Amino acid sequence: MSDSKTDDVLQDYLSDLLGVGSESESSTRSAASPAIAAPQSEAVKPMPLAEKDVMAIKREQLQKLLQSARVQVEQVADVDLNEPAAVPVQAPVVPVSQVTSKESPSVGETLEAIEDAVALNVLDEQLEWLDNGRPRWAQNTFEVLLFKVSGLTLAVPLISLGQIQPLTDELTPLFGQADWFMGLQPTASGKVRTVNTAKFVMPERYDPAFEQTAKYVISINGVPWGLAVDNVEQPITLSPEDVKWRGTRTQRPWLAGTVKAHMCALLDIPMVGKLLTDSDKNARLA
Amino acid sequence: MASNANQNHNADDPVLQWVTFRLDGETYGINVMQVQEVLRYTEIAPVPGAPAYVLGIINLRGNVVTVIDTRHRFALPTGEVTDNTRIVIIEADNHVIGILVDSVAEVVYLRQSEIEMAPNVGNEESAKFIQGVCHKNDELLILIELNKLLSDHEWAELEDI
Repeated sequence: MSDSKTDDVLQDYLSDLLGVGSESESSTRSAASPAIAAPQSEAVKPMPLAEKDVMAIKREQLQKLLQSARVQVEQVADVDLNEPAAVPVQAPVVPVSQVTSKESPSVGETLEAIEDAVALNVLDEQLEWLDNGRPRWAQNTFEVLLFKVSGLTLAVPLISLGQIQPLTDELTPLFGQADWFMGLQPTASGKVRTVNTAKFVMPERYDPAFEQTAKYVISINGVPWGLAVDNVEQPITLSPEDVKWRGTRTQRPWLAGTVKAHMCALLDIPMVGKLLTDSDKNARLA
Repeated sequence: MASNANQNHNADDPVLQWVTFRLDGETYGINVMQVQEVLRYTEIAPVPGAPAYVLGIINLRGNVVTVIDTRHRFALPTGEVTDNTRIVIIEADNHVIGILVDSVAEVVYLRQSEIEMAPNVGNEESAKFIQGVCHKNDELLILIELNKLLSDHEWAELEDI
């Protein structure tokens, strides 16, 4: 199959799953062409040293978080052993290179405050798309986490991910919210406002079974929001050339592009965080 | 006195008491100062032509009290009346009304600092009824702003019943 034909097949597949062309958009999205643009200029600007450091720190944090999620998921799996309808939990397998010792509360709190400040800063910076048609977080090779949502594989850059937590019975729905809002999931680090990712990403093809199959919530760094997902797969490294970046992002601005090699859609997760934050009327009033 | 009982002297972070009730599997809280009494379910007389959120009226020691369909108000599915069903008589916006709930649980003490702002996404008017959320006793309480339960127009509607 020629390269252009392969591109067409992938485009059709993702367009179909993402419901491209439908008029029924959620209020957080505007209406315009969903066409995915070819990659533009390949020029890569050197990344500032401080930003590299931040990325390295975030990668380390996420490796630890992935590992912590695995431990929690294993605990959940143990609890569910006696239930006949229990589904085997597929835990993300991530090599752990180092073990951290427990810090004193004061040091921990200080670090947490610094991390939060860094996270907010990073989120703002990562929203920017540069002249070469790629977001700031994709100027060099970058790591993404693959996960499944109602059969669709999605990829999110690790740079803006927070924690991975199992979805539990404690997920509390709130009345009067948008239909893509699943509820508040209490976690050790606060209440994660959990988004029904399937309904948010592809409302036209929404399968209500997702509410039963969703096992994890992946929180977005710097904002109290998280995405519900069916399962989490291995992180992979992508180069900017691996992605077909979208040129026009007026419609579905949260969709950064597509990754042909993995047949998946790449989410612009900093933009997802911004859209979710902007959609909260109470946050605007605060 | 009642005000003192309801509010700790720590002015920066007062402790408030909330009456909690259950509705469609979730736990809600209302400020104890707005609760007059809790009644067992009694027959509610429907009122022809009343708004959809009104279940009807009850006779409370000679006074007619309008009972609100809380599930309808919160856009929740309808439920059945059980032995645990209660009518909570509240005072909101200088009016006395009853709200029908699945059950009344307890009174909890919450520090103001424990209450977090809830999100408000979407276009549903009912979202404004949520004052905040709080994690207490291993569950999430949804705190209700009773004074916003009905608009001025709706209060006027109730007066005409």
